[in-house]
Amino acid sequence: MTGAPDAQDIGELLRELAPEVLGALVRRYGRFGACEDAVQEAMLEAVTSWPARGVPGSPKGWLLTVASRRLIDEVRSEHARRRREQADAAAAAPLEQPQQPGADHDDSLTLLFLCCHPALSGPSQIALTLRAVGGLGTAQIAAAFLVPEATMAQRISRAKEAIRASGARFEMPGPDERPARLAIVLHVLYLIFNEGYTATAGTGLTTPELSGEAIRLTRWLHRLLPADAEVAGLLALMLLTDARRAARTGPDGSLVPLGEQDRSTWDAGKIAEGVALVSAVLPAGQVGPYQVQAAIAAVHDEAKSVGTTDWPQILGLYDLLGQLAPGPMVSLNRAVAVAMVAGPEAGLDLLRELESDRRLAGHHRLHAARAHLLEMSGDVPGAVASYREAARRTTSLPERRYLTGRAAGLAGQKTGQKKGSAAM
Amino acid sequence: MKYLLMIYGNQEKWESMAGGAWPEAIARQEAFNAKYRQTGELLGSYGLADAAQAKLVRRVKGLPAVTDGPYLETKEYLASFWLLDCASQERAEQIAADMPFADGEPVELWPILHESAADQ
Repeated sequence: MTGAPDAQDIGELLRELAPEVLGALVRRYGRFGACEDAVQEAMLEAVTSWPARGVPGSPKGWLLTVASRRLIDEVRSEHARRRREQADAAAAAPLEQPQQPGADHDDSLTLLFLCCHPALSGPSQIALTLRAVGGLGTAQIAAAFLVPEATMAQRISRAKEAIRASGARFEMPGPDERPARLAIVLHVLYLIFNEGYTATAGTGLTTPELSGEAIRLTRWLHRLLPADAEVAGLLALMLLTDARRAARTGPDGSLVPLGEQDRSTWDAGKIAEGVALVSAVLPAGQVGPYQVQAAIAAVHDEAKSVGTTDWPQILGLYDLLGQLAPGPMVSLNRAVAVAMVAGPEAGLDLLRELESDRRLAGHHRLHAARAHLLEMSGDVPGAVASYREAARRTTSLPERRYLTGRAAGLAGQKTGQKKGSAAM
Repeated sequence: MKYLLMIYGNQEKWESMAGGAWPEAIARQEAFNAKYRQTGELLGSYGLADAAQAKLVRRVKGLPAVTDGPYLETKEYLASFWLLDCASQERAEQIAADMPFADGEPVELWPILHESAADQ
């Protein structure tokens, strides 16, 4: 990059380098919280100075130098004068020592494990991962989650405090611990993806697009751990889901269900990439829930319509998912697949069984699934009542509008018939 | 998820509190606010003016028309509300139950619809 570099390119480069710079700094100095602040400040300085002066020859070296200077300023103001000399001595040592090949990667990965430390609450893990590994600023993260910046700043500093208090060290989890820790990392990435996938479109440059960010981070993790089948599975799941994004909302922001989406607007590139990923890992035999969910998404994405979807295969995959990761939502989705294979009555029978599950009983999705299957079976009043019940119970505004609209549309077809009795 | 906590009351009720009880109630409430601002879960807390200050605003032939009101039929009205952003309904219930006023009066807890569609 020479001449006047593009601000967006600089942003991407900075965020690519952020975890490497922070990892190197923490490995050298410890003090994760202070290092993280220093890296953010160095990035801010880069954003102001690089567009005018051009990107330095070694952007990473530049960031490391500036960040360690900031860190030392911090140390100086914090400690007594006699401590200052030590810090100066540390600063004088060259930072970019020859490293083992791959040390950057190990640092970045260690950093990710630290941000998703089990001592942190879910929201803290997410916020810290986006900031320290994703390189996003507090204001951007706050905008993405629609909370005030002060709230997000508080959440991040609490997260750092929790890391400090837990005594967690900047080191790779041991082999015993690693699968469980990686599972948390994947869960955090998936939560970030879902937050973005479900949120309304960002309203400007200040609101980062979270699902794109989750895909970027997962892609990066997949490069670091190419042999891990679940990492590949999660990346595939994200791509195959994100491929349908444009079709998922109408021009007015309304929700378009899978069956009514314009499949020609699905992103063929993302589908191809996702299908290739999941096809490569599934036969290898380390099957896990993300791979199976990706496989389900792939079957949907490769179908021309709901009618031509390979529902028996989807049902088989839900059976498998139910064994790997049983849960009420899996059972619910499986019931819908059963209905598509064996008819709505078979699905409705299963839903009746699920009603006794405390976790599902009042859940809008159970009512929405029942409404859908009742509609399939031709029971219009029943479907209308269930759509309305689901609309009352959802906590999502677009979903409530969709469900209410669906109920109104169906009730309208039956003009004059029991219109009053179906009202809430 | 965002949640709204609400408490109800009226001027008479506040005035009837014994001398030292009111500042003490405020102090306990301030401590509650500080605690949950600290955790990043309290987005804001707001006290409403007395109902005597409330107005009704309409537009009549394109022009604003402001009148006194509303004339409430209930004895108690919305006094204060808190906006939370927390991980789950359970957590919101926990915070609501920690509200100092919850000793004597119920605290209303309402989930706020989020602007996005839920995950599939």
